[in-house]
Amino acid sequence: MKELSLNILDVAENSVKAGASLTQILLTEQDGTLTLEIVDDGCGMDEDVVRSVIDPFYTTRTTRKVGMGIPLLKLACEQTGGSLAISSVTEEADPVAHGTHVTATFDMNHIDFTPLGDVSSTVLTLIQGHPDRDFMFRHRLQGRDVELDTRELREVLEDVPLNSYDVMEWIRGNLQEQYEELSDRDTRDGED
Amino acid sequence: MRVEELLEHGFEALSLPDGGREIDGVYIGDLLSWVMGRAQMDNAWITIMNNVNVIAVATLADTSCVILAEDVEMPEELVETAREKGVNVLRSSQPIFETAVKLAGLIA
Repeated sequence: MKELSLNILDVAENSVKAGASLTQILLTEQDGTLTLEIVDDGCGMDEDVVRSVIDPFYTTRTTRKVGMGIPLLKLACEQTGGSLAISSVTEEADPVAHGTHVTATFDMNHIDFTPLGDVSSTVLTLIQGHPDRDFMFRHRLQGRDVELDTRELREVLEDVPLNSYDVMEWIRGNLQEQYEELSDRDTRDGED
Repeated sequence: MRVEELLEHGFEALSLPDGGREIDGVYIGDLLSWVMGRAQMDNAWITIMNNVNVIAVATLADTSCVILAEDVEMPEELVETAREKGVNVLRSSQPIFETAVKLAGLIA
């Protein structure tokens, strides 16, 4: 995909389809490496299913039915010299602590690194499409965080749906402010 | 023009399970998600990408063949996958543009 943010949206939608009540999108940029984690508490996958979402041709998989989200994410990180790993626990194996954890690492200085793109829009699209689910987004840039947690919003908003226009606009503005604050601080640091 | 006829014009067959397939138009691209949404059925698809997702995208977009330009290598296990999945994969020693120009002359 032209931007990683679209790839993130695709994979996070899989978490929602897996019945996750909470999906976490964690981005960590540190010293030229980007680590992307998508963590959900959905129904989980057994070993065979994990293999089939990574390999588009694993055994009986019918490619037409299954998305290319994970194979393309794997390609995007591997072409920078990074890697992708999935660990998953099925609901059967553990009725309490089940879910899937996707981790992808990227060398951001590699010439084939796919730009991250507009992750705020990815988060907004997820909330808009699934106002009954929770999302936790954290983008850590050199140790400083941009953060949004719908569980916190829900506490304050009580009965107001998360995907109402005013709430969506507030979230958009809030994320933008947080990013601007970080880049302002970077500029000031640069002057010191 | 049929895919197998390209062999008479300097193209090399890596996997040719469905050589009788007709070529209708050409698509060029290396960004797989982009190709997936835009290549038309029966297009010959020219690319320099050579991972397993290329075979998956060729299947999804139902292209008539994949043409690897610039003598790009395809690992033997991927060639095997292509054969199993009925995906034609050819190779050209020339760069993408020259390969496309040659195809344009042939399928006109």
